[in-house]
Amino acid sequence: MSTADEPGRGYHDIGGLDYGAVDPVATDMKPWERLSTAISNALGGAGRNYYVTDETRRTREQMGEPLYSDLDYYERSTQSMKMILVEKDYFTEVELEARMKIIEKRMAEARG
Amino acid sequence: MSGDYSPGDKVRVIVTHPPGHRRTPFYIRGKTGVIERRCGAFPNPEELAYGFDGLPRKTLYRVRFNQKEVWSNYEGPAVDTVDVDIFEHWLKPA
Amino acid sequence: MAEERGTHDHDHDRTFQPDIEDLEPSRYELMTYAMRELLIEKGHVTDEEIRKCQDKLESIEPAQGSRVIAKAWIDAAFKQRLLDDGNAALAELGVDPGSARMTVVENTDQVQNVVVCTLCSCYPRAVLGMPPDWYRSKAYRSRVVIEPRAVLKEFGTDVPDDVTVRVHDSLADLRYLVIPKRPAGTDNWSEDQLAAIVSRDNMVGVTNPHT
Repeated sequence: MSTADEPGRGYHDIGGLDYGAVDPVATDMKPWERLSTAISNALGGAGRNYYVTDETRRTREQMGEPLYSDLDYYERSTQSMKMILVEKDYFTEVELEARMKIIEKRMAEARG
Repeated sequence: MSGDYSPGDKVRVIVTHPPGHRRTPFYIRGKTGVIERRCGAFPNPEELAYGFDGLPRKTLYRVRFNQKEVWSNYEGPAVDTVDVDIFEHWLKPA
Repeated sequence: MAEERGTHDHDHDRTFQPDIEDLEPSRYELMTYAMRELLIEKGHVTDEEIRKCQDKLESIEPAQGSRVIAKAWIDAAFKQRLLDDGNAALAELGVDPGSARMTVVENTDQVQNVVVCTLCSCYPRAVLGMPPDWYRSKAYRSRVVIEPRAVLKEFGTDVPDDVTVRVHDSLADLRYLVIPKRPAGTDNWSEDQLAAIVSRDNMVGVTNPHT
């Protein structure tokens, strides 16, 4: 969770480090990224509060490297939402991975 | 343990690196700044992150720091500042 | 961008068809579809509720914020109300900031405000929509607190040395909106004309509007 040089610094706690030039680009959300965000918002809406934002911030900080650096923002968001939902027993990793395989097969068949 | 600060008070961010979810960034720990405003009381995010209710609420302050004091190698002019939203329990009078 | 949908019965929707023209879906795209199905099947959320949230996400655009800025430029009393209580003033224009405590700051001849969240990517989503790629990048999050002027230069923005660059690291419940400086030569402009020159990047503070 932290480097040898600065043991108090989490890998997400990057203010003051140097991750290179900023590319002032803005791209549109992909449909699945919007769906992922919408699911998260829906779970927090209508008095539900399946989890609060602080909890997914925390799971974002727990997913570890290299995952945190390898994934892009929406992938990290999806991963951290998955982690909190599994933690709270809404589904299991096994169930989820099994369903992912089914969907992948379904989509491949649809592509023909 | 925590003070009750007013705008203009000098405060120092305590130096501690506790495990778990914290919202006081590494770069500002140990730095001295000035209370810019009292932002109100909010449930503690360090507790909310683990499913607790975060109560009692803690007072949030916006603290203004001179960049030259935060970074030993700051390249901009002395008028530049960084304002950070910090909870009361991370501050001590300076 | 269109999503094809299969028919669905009343109990659950398992025939949601993602965009068929896609190449192989990534792991996290699959994970998203799988979470959606499981959550609906287990009764935690409905397809309708998710779609409502998708629609809401698509409907929030920076133009909403631009209208707030234009009004602030024209109406000094409104601007003061924005600075004093962002949520209340935004409500006057029908803008709902959700659970955020909207904190509005003003660029002046003495101060250029710039907003960041170094720890993640907190951003006034309910007002401006989703944050742009650059705001979420490790490059921006790491460098704008320590070398803001260099980062602003990467956006083409030069700030004179006698103007304070004030970086706001928004790590708690406050969300920041910057009122950029009104450009010279716009005295007789309508609110619509003014809103048209205010961009999302202006309201985060990395660029300034111009005519």
